[in-house]
Amino acid sequence: MLRTQGLTRRFGGLVAVDHVDFELGADELCSLIGPNGAGKTTFFNLLTGVLDPSEGAVELNTDGSWADITGADPAETARRGVHRSYQITNIFPQSTVLENVRVAVQADGATGRHLHRNVHSYDAHFERAHEILDRVDLADEADTTAANLSHGAARQLEVGVALAGDPDVLLLDEPNAGVSSESVGRIVDLIEDVATDHAVLLVEHNMDIVMNVSDRVVVLDRGSVIADGPPEDVRNDEAVRQAYLGGYERNVEETA
Amino acid sequence: MAISTDAVDAQQGVDTTERWIRQYAHDHVAHLLVVAFLGAYPLVYSVLTAIGAGGVFEAFLPKIETMTAVFYFGLFAMSFDFISGYTGYLSFGHAVFYGAGGYFVILVANGKVPLLPPETPFMVSVLLAGVLAALVALAIGSVSFRLSGVYFAMITLGFAQVAYVFMRDWEFLGSNPRDGVAVSNELHPNAFEIGIPGVDALNLAVGPLRGDAVEWLFLDLGATEVSYYMIGLVVLVCYLAMQRMVHSPFGRVLVAIRENEERARAVGYDTYRYKMAAFAVSGFFAGVAGGLFAAFRRSVSPDNSLYFLVTGDALLASIIGGFGTLAGPLYGRLFDRGVREFLSKTGGGGGLLPLLREYVPPSVLDTGIVNGMTVGQSIETFLNGHASLYLGIVFVVFVLYVPGGLLGSLRDRLGGPVAKRLPAYLRNLRK
Repeated sequence: MLRTQGLTRRFGGLVAVDHVDFELGADELCSLIGPNGAGKTTFFNLLTGVLDPSEGAVELNTDGSWADITGADPAETARRGVHRSYQITNIFPQSTVLENVRVAVQADGATGRHLHRNVHSYDAHFERAHEILDRVDLADEADTTAANLSHGAARQLEVGVALAGDPDVLLLDEPNAGVSSESVGRIVDLIEDVATDHAVLLVEHNMDIVMNVSDRVVVLDRGSVIADGPPEDVRNDEAVRQAYLGGYERNVEETA
Repeated sequence: MAISTDAVDAQQGVDTTERWIRQYAHDHVAHLLVVAFLGAYPLVYSVLTAIGAGGVFEAFLPKIETMTAVFYFGLFAMSFDFISGYTGYLSFGHAVFYGAGGYFVILVANGKVPLLPPETPFMVSVLLAGVLAALVALAIGSVSFRLSGVYFAMITLGFAQVAYVFMRDWEFLGSNPRDGVAVSNELHPNAFEIGIPGVDALNLAVGPLRGDAVEWLFLDLGATEVSYYMIGLVVLVCYLAMQRMVHSPFGRVLVAIRENEERARAVGYDTYRYKMAAFAVSGFFAGVAGGLFAAFRRSVSPDNSLYFLVTGDALLASIIGGFGTLAGPLYGRLFDRGVREFLSKTGGGGGLLPLLREYVPPSVLDTGIVNGMTVGQSIETFLNGHASLYLGIVFVVFVLYVPGGLLGSLRDRLGGPVAKRLPAYLRNLRK
């Protein structure tokens, strides 16, 4: 579905992403983990065209053939089917929840250029937006101004806006960031739900969630992939333990 | 049989048309009320001022000429708000589009634009003025939209000031370009006509001196009133066009850009193109407004069309009326002009000063306050010619306490756009 070849990004002397070869399968829910500063968000920014790579290529396959999308800008990668959510909530704060999703639905296709018809004559956009709100469990909040949502609900909307563009690949950047422990379950359910019909690449710090939901786990450390495989294998990988998971294992032993 | 089905169809056609009109009237009740009020205003004005009532109405009601100026400048302020209020990109050089429109219309009338003879109908030249302003907007936007925030405001201001200095010193325009250009009475003796080009009966000339007067049935409209209606009509059409765009999918993308441009891009909008398109639309209407302004006055000067304070006036109107509400700037301009006129009209024209002179008894006026200064003298000192000072205070108060402006605050109070909430409110009232 989406793959990178030798993807590299340097900031001056720092190599944030270092020759990453990665492929995301069509039905996969793959987690990308690694310590802070490992290059996860930079990797996302390279995939979505926010940053241009220093070297390497990004390729997308939504219709049976691989297309090079290296250097395509964010709007174009989105139109081609790669959508993302953000680590820090990034929505349209003064619009209603419904409008947040509706305006993103409207981006799929050329209707954004229509300037003679009232938005309310596009019933399909509203229907689709309501479907998405149902899916992210925000149907009751449709008329709330987005800025007034609780943090957990804003995180759900964050995913909803990403879903609205009808993505083939969904990149979720820490959908649980800052969410209280009671609300985490709701977002985990949402992640598992969207993974049923999208290819999902998930950045997540909570190892319980990663180990539970992922089909596959990729570990990034200082810009390089140091492990890639099913959750169990990665959990037992010595290099990963060294780099990152030591704390997690200790915690598990303590709680056990 | 066929005939009767046709009849039924026709009947249904009438029904749906009627229902549509009724629905439209219902949805647009706020617009219709405003248009009806403005339509009746000259009549109301003439009746009330004829009653006299000791000059009270004359003091408070804006003159028809003032209202006409509010219309064309209000259109300019709306076009400023279309880009600045909806996308959040402050177009501080907006005067350049107003000036482009104004100069273009005057230069066409003076035969100084290649291919366009002085007889070119005003409706054609004002349309071309809009197109020219839109092209200027695209040229300025192509560079300026690489920046955002205060840098965007500064670079557009820079472009406008370059145009101002250039037009001020361009000898081609006329003998004294610093003082502006007027329409040559030899080349273009007739006033500018608004209507359908080519059909003489459907055109009415505008302008305080050369405009047409109309006598029809019981109506007896002078040149001032005719100008008021014709310019108002053009402004209304422009407003409705912009109103359409604001509520279209395109308009919603502009709001999305204002709210969060990064995310708008991430969901798939090429925001640069949207901003350029919005800037061109905004430039077009600013150009039309400039054309109306020049046609009404038959002249244009760098200082009243291209100077940065002209943009400042549009900003003032937008802040007072409501930033990011389309009709707001027009009301803001009306408020601004109305207060200014009330505070500065002198002589027989009404205003606060003559009113006080007339109503405050001489014994009070002659009472000394400080150092032999009387009440009457202090009124003269504080009121005469200081409208801008008080408007400055009003502006500060608005920025501090009414951040949404007149229309924005009303919208917050009603819980939605006035045009939308009013029909719902009336429906509840009927129940």
